Amino acid sequence: MASDNANLTELATVNNFLTSGTRPAFGIPKPIITVGLTTSPLSITTVLENVKDPGAGAIVFFAGTTRDNFDNRPVSHLTYSAYPPLTLRTMSSIAASMVEKHKLTAISLIHRLGEVPIGEESILVAVAAPHRKAAWRAGEECLEVVKEKVEIWKKEEFADGEGVWRENRAGFVAEEGVVPGDLPKAPATDTTS
Amino acid sequence: MSTFTILYFAACSSYTSRLYEALPAPLPISKLYSVLEEKYAGITEKVLGSCLVTVNLEYVDITGGDGHDMIQGEVVIQPGDEVAIIPPVSSG
Repeated sequence: MASDNANLTELATVNNFLTSGTRPAFGIPKPIITVGLTTSPLSITTVLENVKDPGAGAIVFFAGTTRDNFDNRPVSHLTYSAYPPLTLRTMSSIAASMVEKHKLTAISLIHRLGEVPIGEESILVAVAAPHRKAAWRAGEECLEVVKEKVEIWKKEEFADGEGVWRENRAGFVAEEGVVPGDLPKAPATDTTS
Repeated sequence: MSTFTILYFAACSSYTSRLYEALPAPLPISKLYSVLEEKYAGITEKVLGSCLVTVNLEYVDITGGDGHDMIQGEVVIQPGDEVAIIPPVSSG
């Protein structure tokens, strides 16, 4: 199908790793916010190292992995695409709002793009705070806002060859280029309440 | 001829069978959907109705999307601008 080839072209521009943070050099403080997009398998160790700090007594870590079915229909693999300049900007902005709201010492947010085999991680989130309560809350809230706002699109490829663009709002199915157009847009989440 | 670039993602790229293309600029934002409807019949109802639009990475308000008279003060897409149609997202 034409759009499958098109997605590969798009990914070629994403390349291996795009991030707003930089790898910390020895003796230089780590960045508070690290966000990234990659077509490679995700590294749990890297995400944890990104947020580890002597001032942080709590780290909450979340891994989203790809499921092998949707409503019992077998899924063979998933493909994620993005609009990297906008996607990274939105991820950074969400991360910054979490740091401010929950007084985090650090946050790291990485999403995988391209084809992701079943059972592998598609998203990793790690948040660090002085105490556990803030870390738990920030971790959960961050995921919810990311799923609602970040410009990444998931295509489920079923075992029978059909592909479906998924929508996070209300579990919609957008069948091959057809999106329900008569439904209200999801309300903006108030990240300040 | 001066043009802007328009990017299509996910269900929108499936519908247009392309990821991007060049369209003539300048173009008032309120006329964007009618230009697309002319090229891709049915796209407004099936795809665009649930989409958002960015111009140079900023979300813009699509008002008067029926292609009628230009609204005072509205965004006008300029030559060289990057416009994107943003379908409902599904990360995670």
